[in-house]
Amino acid sequence: MKTLKELVSNILGIDKEEINDNSSPDNINSWDSFNTLMLVSEIEKNFNVKFNMDEVMSIKNINDIKKLLGKHGVTKGIND
Amino acid sequence: MEKINSSKEKEQPNKLINENNLSYYINESKKLIKKKSMKDVKLAFLSNFTINGLAETMKVLCFEQRIYAETYAVPYNQYAQEILNKSSKLYDFNSDIIFILLDSEQLLDSMYKMDEKQREKYTKEKFDELRGLINILKENTNAKIVFNTLLVPLYSSRGIIENKQKFGLKKSIHRFNEMFESLSIDDSQLFIFDFNSFCSKMGYENLVDRKMYYLGDMRISPMALVNIGIEYMAYIFPLTSSTKKCVILDLDNTLWGGILGEEGTENIKLGPEKDGKPFLDFQKRLLELFERGIILAINSKNNYNDVIEVMKKHKYMLLKENNFACIKINWKDKVTNTREIAKELNIGLDSLVFLDDDKTNRELIKKFIPEVMVVDLPEDPSLYPKVIEDLKVFNTFTITGEDLNRGKMYVSQKKRGELKLKVKDLESFLKQLGIKVNISSAKKSNISRIAQLTQKTNQFNLTTRRYQDADIKKFSESKEYIVKCIDVEDKFGDYGITGIAIVKKNKEDWLVDSFLLSCRILGKEIEKVFLGFIIEEAKKEGIKKLIGEFISTKKNSLAKDFYKSNKFELGKKTNEKEIWNFDLKNKYDYPKFFIITKDI
Repeated sequence: MKTLKELVSNILGIDKEEINDNSSPDNINSWDSFNTLMLVSEIEKNFNVKFNMDEVMSIKNINDIKKLLGKHGVTKGIND
Repeated sequence: MEKINSSKEKEQPNKLINENNLSYYINESKKLIKKKSMKDVKLAFLSNFTINGLAETMKVLCFEQRIYAETYAVPYNQYAQEILNKSSKLYDFNSDIIFILLDSEQLLDSMYKMDEKQREKYTKEKFDELRGLINILKENTNAKIVFNTLLVPLYSSRGIIENKQKFGLKKSIHRFNEMFESLSIDDSQLFIFDFNSFCSKMGYENLVDRKMYYLGDMRISPMALVNIGIEYMAYIFPLTSSTKKCVILDLDNTLWGGILGEEGTENIKLGPEKDGKPFLDFQKRLLELFERGIILAINSKNNYNDVIEVMKKHKYMLLKENNFACIKINWKDKVTNTREIAKELNIGLDSLVFLDDDKTNRELIKKFIPEVMVVDLPEDPSLYPKVIEDLKVFNTFTITGEDLNRGKMYVSQKKRGELKLKVKDLESFLKQLGIKVNISSAKKSNISRIAQLTQKTNQFNLTTRRYQDADIKKFSESKEYIVKCIDVEDKFGDYGITGIAIVKKNKEDWLVDSFLLSCRILGKEIEKVFLGFIIEEAKKEGIKKLIGEFISTKKNSLAKDFYKSNKFELGKKTNEKEIWNFDLKNKYDYPKFFIITKDI
């Protein structure tokens, strides 16, 4: 299993160090709408969860993803 | 004896099946650097929904097969505009193959509210519209076109009585797909990818992620797009002349379960029940391949006589001695044996597929002969038959009589070799073979085969010019060219069409544009007979000079001295090619013991 940061860094093609809670499409160039969906798809597979459509639409930054994972009971791999 | 694989690490059944995410491919695709030895291919994608990542996936899959792909994905839902606009990027890109993926729901949007009559009319109209687009595409490009069948909807408001209608929603799409399939039957450019079959294989519910569908118009989920790319690879092998020709097989724990030397003929696992069945099915799959022209060979550490006994006496041993064109059962290392197999069969190392349950052997081949495709057999034999089913590497765009018989022809070749050992000199050997060479012109029945030979022949090929069916047709209809082919037969069997010549007729001289012979018939002086025929034809028409070209490639050194040894004189020589001339006043000698017929 990969950590959230690993997934994000892999999909958006940025260093893990660059990622923080406020990272969002507004401050990361490579983060477009397609990448949001790819992120969701791979986060779901990695953490074995399923988000619903409203949840996906609510994602505005990394912190939102963390909150969603927490809501679905994921504890490991979120913060490192 | 074979070592049983004790490795517990999880393996992928083969390179073309894997669980990697779309992001893996997108990232990898950015790192690819073209290597010199790689083949090139250009792929284009047309679609009416989001297929981001498919092109990148295919770039990586191609790269793994030593093919460098350039790709062009038409902007979202602009497939019709790009086809209609003759100066579009699509045409500018000049693709070798164009994949068209259309979603039925979007294409046939208003169909759900129609009655049967309206639906029938509408289906016909939409079909005509798309057929028109495909025709325009065909007029403007030589690329192969792969059209995905439309997804048959899974839902109908009629529920259990949907299929009681003459022209229900589902039937309309079926009809549409059938019409497209019949369009492709006699068309060497158009191919139909059975998307519905793909969906059943993957399971439709796994293919679609509904929130992705609504949020990003992804009719196929990012995970499933990777699998489409894997399926599409089936088209890339024939497109780049990378189709594999021969399967090299291990025996213990590959063709049967257990170790023959320890357990004996009666106790190996092979039969119609339980743990014998996967091996039986595996052999069935291999026999099917043999029947469609794939060459089989054995590379095994075993006692030769024990194995022959299994082939003769074991009730469920489907593969017999005469299914194998080359048998290496000895205690030598597998690398040496593999090289010898390629040499004896006279085929390239890159046309071999290596199947062995032992990981060490596989790693050895990967390391020492990287050209060979090594399939990682899974540890569980119940997956063996599936391994063959998932291999895309034997695909061809056409199937000729020669293709179907290749496996058998190579077995005859083995018998010829045995005769050669008994006879002292080449001439008496050739005389004993009773070789018949029949020379004919290009015509409808052989054009595909002629084009195929130009695409596949590497070794005895003087200019290595690759042509498609359409090119050969054009030459054969032109008064400025002659296109001839030879089919060859001897007392051991029929080789089929195995040599071609394309000659450009200028006023004073003739230029040999292409001259090639399949490796199977080399070493019999047939090339001299064929050249002699061309010389005689040129003399008949009062031509003064026959010009031959030699264009050197990595693989055709075999043909290097052909013109020289046939008394042509070297004219111009550049880095790119050599020009050889034959003064037609001179006499040309060629072996006379052949039976030559002309079926012009």
